[in-house]
Amino acid sequence: MNKTKRFLIVLIVLAVAFAFLIPSIRWYYLTPKEDQALALGSREQIRDYAWRVARADMAELEKLATANDESPLPVQYDPMVKRARKIYKDLGLKTPQVWSAKAYLAAFDNKADALADLEDYYRTHVLSLKTLHGSAVQLGLDLSGGMSVIIRADLAALETKTGRTLSPAERNDAVVRAVEVLNNRIDKFGLTEPVIRRQGDDRIYVEIPGAADPERINGIIMGRGKLAFHIVDEEATSKLTTYLEANPLAIDDKLNLADQSLIPAGTVVRKFYTKDAYGLDEWTGRYMVINAEPGLDGNHIESATVSSDPITGQPEVVFNLDKEGGDIFFKLTSANVNKTMAVVLDDRVRTGARISGPIQANVKITGFAADEANNLALILRSAALPVELVVESQQAIGASLGADAINQGKNAVVIGLLAVFAFMLIYYKGAGVNAAIAQVLNLYLMFSILSAFNLTLTLPSIAGFVLTIGMAVDANVIIFERMKEELREGKGRKASIQAGFAKAFWAVMDSNITTILAALFLAQLGTGAIQGFAVSLAIGNMSSLFTALFVSRLIFDFNTDVFKRQTLSISWRVK
Amino acid sequence: MKRVIQFHKAFLPAALVSIALIVFGFAGLVTKGFNLGVDFQAGVNQYVQLAFPAADISYAGKGTPVLSISESAVIVVFSGADVVAHTASWDLKTVGTIADLATAMKAENIDVTIRDGAGLSATLLVPTYQGDYTLGPQAVLVHRGPKVASEAYGTIEQVRKSVETVGSVSVQNVGAADSMQYMIRVRDDGKDKSFSEKIPGLVKKALEGTFGADKVITMRTDYVGAQFSKSLASSSWKLTLLTVLAILVYATIRFKFQYGLGAVLAIIHDGLIMVGFIVWTRMEFNTTSIAAILTILGYSINDTIVIFDRIREDSKLDPSASLALVIDKSITETLGRTFITTLTTMLAVLSLFLFTTGSIKDFALALLVGMVSGTYSTVYIASGFVQLWENVKANMKPKAAASHAATKTSR
Repeated sequence: MNKTKRFLIVLIVLAVAFAFLIPSIRWYYLTPKEDQALALGSREQIRDYAWRVARADMAELEKLATANDESPLPVQYDPMVKRARKIYKDLGLKTPQVWSAKAYLAAFDNKADALADLEDYYRTHVLSLKTLHGSAVQLGLDLSGGMSVIIRADLAALETKTGRTLSPAERNDAVVRAVEVLNNRIDKFGLTEPVIRRQGDDRIYVEIPGAADPERINGIIMGRGKLAFHIVDEEATSKLTTYLEANPLAIDDKLNLADQSLIPAGTVVRKFYTKDAYGLDEWTGRYMVINAEPGLDGNHIESATVSSDPITGQPEVVFNLDKEGGDIFFKLTSANVNKTMAVVLDDRVRTGARISGPIQANVKITGFAADEANNLALILRSAALPVELVVESQQAIGASLGADAINQGKNAVVIGLLAVFAFMLIYYKGAGVNAAIAQVLNLYLMFSILSAFNLTLTLPSIAGFVLTIGMAVDANVIIFERMKEELREGKGRKASIQAGFAKAFWAVMDSNITTILAALFLAQLGTGAIQGFAVSLAIGNMSSLFTALFVSRLIFDFNTDVFKRQTLSISWRVK
Repeated sequence: MKRVIQFHKAFLPAALVSIALIVFGFAGLVTKGFNLGVDFQAGVNQYVQLAFPAADISYAGKGTPVLSISESAVIVVFSGADVVAHTASWDLKTVGTIADLATAMKAENIDVTIRDGAGLSATLLVPTYQGDYTLGPQAVLVHRGPKVASEAYGTIEQVRKSVETVGSVSVQNVGAADSMQYMIRVRDDGKDKSFSEKIPGLVKKALEGTFGADKVITMRTDYVGAQFSKSLASSSWKLTLLTVLAILVYATIRFKFQYGLGAVLAIIHDGLIMVGFIVWTRMEFNTTSIAAILTILGYSINDTIVIFDRIREDSKLDPSASLALVIDKSITETLGRTFITTLTTMLAVLSLFLFTTGSIKDFALALLVGMVSGTYSTVYIASGFVQLWENVKANMKPKAAASHAATKTSR
């Protein structure tokens, strides 16, 4: 292969590597912290955020429009104006000279459309940041702080409890249900992106970045969901709904009303949720005013099933209460006939049902679609999760410790690299520069591969990088020593380089292959930390093969042919 | 031409020294055992910091500001729909006293009620180890470290005494002696299913009982259950054996079987030396140690292979030369390379050792030992074995070989 071709290959590799690094650079260096905080919120929080900001913006825009303010909108509206401009163009209208509030609003048929567009803008914006985060290098818990827990669903205990052997399908169902319950619980406390993954037959891996308070998180993971039945104050609900339609921002995101006198004492406002297409909680946009005291606690539920009404064919949820619960429920339903009862899970209204008459122990709730019914049954059952969860292992690391770890890692990489550079430059003189360039490229390629495969960066994987820096130089050393020997035998620059690379090739390959072999076995070993180390070791070894055998050779050849170097600066003794 | 160093003369003494070292390591293993880390021994490792309550921080405005305190700065990120999103940060080194910090934070509508130490430098504030705080009307408490060494409290004996009722407990000092940071390990005997949920709370309560409420901060908590640690231990064994086997197969394919065996013997030697080192220094034996050993297995083989490569080449160049001579010549020729590659790797690992703490520091130290042993075993053990093998093969006289074989194979 001629030099131009080889040079092109190197350029292409570097360019591709850079493309892989872009998301990481954008997320870690170009995204402000407050935007990161938004993007790391749960999808539901993002939806709420967009909803609120859009309404605040709308109020501002309407104020400007009513005041007949003809001045252009402030810069923060630029992205929205861009969208409005497109609407003008699509309709074939002349775009306005000055983008005043009025001109902007005129792009939309009505207020609702404008609001929807604003909301969509904010949501897409934050969600695109979320996607960006997803494609950047992820920081492991030891660097970002947070908590990881491995939980085992105790199926043996479940078998003892039920007194029979569970079929594979039942075992699977129990674990699937436990995962679903964990998803629900962790999702609610949101803030950062939780990872919940099933591991093998009966283990569940949970990772919560940022949070590192085991007591609090254990409560969430191991605690039962808080299910309760509350009586709905319908009069207050409709009054509040009307009021909030006019003043959408009169309630903050923690559900505190600006004016508490809107609802009667002893009641609270809760949001009404449903499940969206992805099974995530989605707020319906409705509020409910319910009695603060629950009418019945979910602990009394013994079982819940979905069936269909024999006459109408409508799905219905049937659940059984224990003796005490039955009594409480009977009193509650007797006293509240024709009122609505809300099923509230962890402070979220899931469904409402009209009480048609007193009910004892066997409760039927009807009036929804089949999957809604399934959802409700799941919610009801999860309050009484049959399979016991056991914590297998747990790690919680504070975020500040993570920041310290990042600094340690950075220092180790930089100083390690400099020490190796210094040695190579002193010992191998001119050829040392060559090795140094190869090392920098190596580090660059390693990070790029990490980014490309969306791997997680941990302190052990940084250790892997540092070690690789030291080991990657070995390839250069093997080659350089060979060249020196060739020089000693009286060969010229070009011949020494050629023979040096040719003779050292297998030695370099052998040593890298054995290390990669060891790294691959290591990657199988239990914990994520060690895997991170092993993976970075393997990556580093592979990329160092490229830099040592290909890039470094190219630099030597370039100097020989393009700069017409006759001698090889590689040692103090051998000229 | 360089003078050929007569390495083969030292093969036997070197083998004896190695055997002595390994036996010494085994003796430690039998008498003292490993200082098993939490991954191999079920239990909770709880890192705590004893400190002084410094200030209550609350926020009455809109939005959800998130507070984090690091070693160098206090950072509050304001986000949410109802506030102008922005990040406020105060450099602890330049902000002045804790009272100055409180005044500065007031500008962002954050209320800081100082409990103690208003006039002290803000750099004394303890980082928010337990994750960031979301500020709201309910105040969160931040802590500070001691202003002078004499103010420090809670000796390791006091800590040990206060937690000994929790269970089978051991306490270690982490960080500097007066940093008031301790690691408390409580072993899990597997009898109590909710062990991992209960113990961290109990430890904290016990410490608070001794040192006062609000004075104990949990920095991190690790827990490993009995079943998990067991499966980890067995997979560690399997993986180590498989790695050795894979290297043996590879080296056999590339060279001859006796070369492969020699190379593997050398790396096993390195692994055992490392085990001895870990046992005698009472370094914690955990998955990171396994990683160090496996890394050395993969690394130490490199030098050996380069020498074998050279032996093969040199014996082709001069087929009439005796093996001892060829080996000596090859080792001599590659000696510079052997030293330099180890040296460059050591430079990098040394930087790791100097700049990190905790398990990575131990890891780096174990690697350094493994590398020294690796260089030595490459020269003396691997080549020595090959020579012994060829001697036995060529010279089937049992008298001379038997004594050699006995010493070499008893390892």
